[in-house]
Amino acid sequence: MSSGSVVRAEGLWKIYQEGGTPLPVLRGVDIQISKGEIVALRGPSGSGKSTLLNILGCLDRPTRGRYWLGGKDVSTLDPTAQAWVRLHYIGFIFQTFHLIAHSTALENVALPLHYAGVPKGQAHETARGLLDRVGLGQRLEHRPNQLSGGQRQRVAVARALACKPRLILADEPTGALDTRTGQEILALLLELHAEAHLTLVLVTHDPNVASVAHRQIEVRDGLVVSDSRSDAPAA
Amino acid sequence: MRRPRSELFGMAFETLRRNPGRSALTLLGLAIGVGAFIAMVSFGEGARRSVMDQFKALGTHLVRVRGTSRGGQERRPLSDADIAAIQRDSTTISKVIPVARVIFETTHAGRQWWSPVHGTEPEFATLHTWDTSLGGLFDARDLARRSKVCVLGQTVVRELFGEADADPLGETVTISGILTCRVIGVLAAKGTSTSGNDVDDIVLIPVTTFAAYFGLPLGYSALEIGPAQPEWIEAAKEEAQLALRRSHGLGVDDADDFQIDSPTEVLKAVDRTATILARLLQGIAAVSLFVGGVGIMNIQLVSVTERTAEIGIRAAIGASPRQILAQFLVEGALLSLLGASFGILIGVGVSVSVASYMGWQRITSFGDVAGAAAFGIAVGLVFGFLPARRAALLDPIEALRRQ
Repeated sequence: MSSGSVVRAEGLWKIYQEGGTPLPVLRGVDIQISKGEIVALRGPSGSGKSTLLNILGCLDRPTRGRYWLGGKDVSTLDPTAQAWVRLHYIGFIFQTFHLIAHSTALENVALPLHYAGVPKGQAHETARGLLDRVGLGQRLEHRPNQLSGGQRQRVAVARALACKPRLILADEPTGALDTRTGQEILALLLELHAEAHLTLVLVTHDPNVASVAHRQIEVRDGLVVSDSRSDAPAA
Repeated sequence: MRRPRSELFGMAFETLRRNPGRSALTLLGLAIGVGAFIAMVSFGEGARRSVMDQFKALGTHLVRVRGTSRGGQERRPLSDADIAAIQRDSTTISKVIPVARVIFETTHAGRQWWSPVHGTEPEFATLHTWDTSLGGLFDARDLARRSKVCVLGQTVVRELFGEADADPLGETVTISGILTCRVIGVLAAKGTSTSGNDVDDIVLIPVTTFAAYFGLPLGYSALEIGPAQPEWIEAAKEEAQLALRRSHGLGVDDADDFQIDSPTEVLKAVDRTATILARLLQGIAAVSLFVGGVGIMNIQLVSVTERTAEIGIRAAIGASPRQILAQFLVEGALLSLLGASFGILIGVGVSVSVASYMGWQRITSFGDVAGAAAFGIAVGLVFGFLPARRAALLDPIEALRRQ
């Protein structure tokens, strides 16, 4: 494989057993994403794109097929090893932010660093820097319910970056935000992409979000039905 | 790579503090368990010691030899020769005293009372650690002179002189209509023996006086033997037994023609019974400790269910199953630790007040307290493991879906 490939998957199948009858959700997906790419993953609900994202994020394992992340085969890891990969290689951004409700912004961002074994003082320093970067330097001690939706998503973005991941997986990152705030988050992601040379996979229905991607991959009925490169990527 | 433990504890403490009412109730269960356990161990030990002390007060530190029937009816009398033999052949025995005991009618000023009259030596009171409340005992001179003196137990004083606190010193009491003796002492009250006999129903006279007036047709009723050291009681019993067998000319195959008892067997039996009761109390307390553990398990299971979404988030951002297990285990451990600490306060408080109320000495040992606390914490850990494992095994995708 090329050294620039962050994600390479071959023949991914995911089959759920629904009351004894096998229900294939992915039916042989091949996908390859190079370092620094911004990819929009699209498809109607039930198309299998969420399952694909879970597998790419090492939250789930394919029933069949192989998946290399940064050149390492991660398709058959046990839950502990999967957790290690998620912690060190992947940053998640969710539609509903998924912050720990009773922790402050600072604690939320420092959490992955804690799990990585970084001492508390150092973790908080790194988290402070990241929150500063996403424009929340004055909101360190606020809890999620004291923050607006856009601010919460900024905390989530900072948290996703905490352990310097190579791959950011964002599941409808602007889906719960109004148009303007969504634009701001998108702009922030693009800035960070440029700064840290991140690889970004976005699941989205938002044409604004999709328009900034280098590539549009469309999933339907468990198969990749189109994979097109944009002529004018925004970044 | 693992998080430093101190941070885990800090985090767990934060979690418990967010729900103070629930945390307090949860650890109360374990606190009561640990407290009850400490209190029960203390009660058991206190009651055991108290019972043992009562037994020791009844003369458990002496060996008693009783003449018994041999070959059916014939009695082998216990004689002065036996006393001499025991004294000559023993190294562990400090005293051997004869006791001639017959229940006689005693009278004073028209009142009468049947009471066991003991002809014995002054050391009887020493052997039985029995003080006089009035006057004193007869002495060696009274023995030599066959003095007509007597010492009365409280019951006899009450029956012959009308009231228990009467002063009978200097009065005379007639025994069996033939021996009129002067009262020179009153024994302190001892109460009822464990077999239900009234120990205070007793009259002591010099054994020589007894022999002179009533004779000793069947020898002494008993010989009472005091070991030189309290812990030599079993050795004293064996020496006395050998000396008596020699003195009675018994062959190797002959059975004893006397009965010899040391109170050790009785004491052991009493100790066993008291210990069984103490263990029973501890068993019941252990059940309450387990119930406290189940309380911790319940609350932690509820907590895991409530925080499923949070567990999902933690897992998604990279917490390993072990780290999630550790988080909940530490929460359970902290609950147990706090519960056990409060339990120590409760248990020690209750034991100390009960001990002072019952007049027991300090009976709560550091070992018991530490043991109960360790037991409580272990129970909390064991019962905290199941919920923690459930949290660790949650599927992050499923957990995240539950908002």
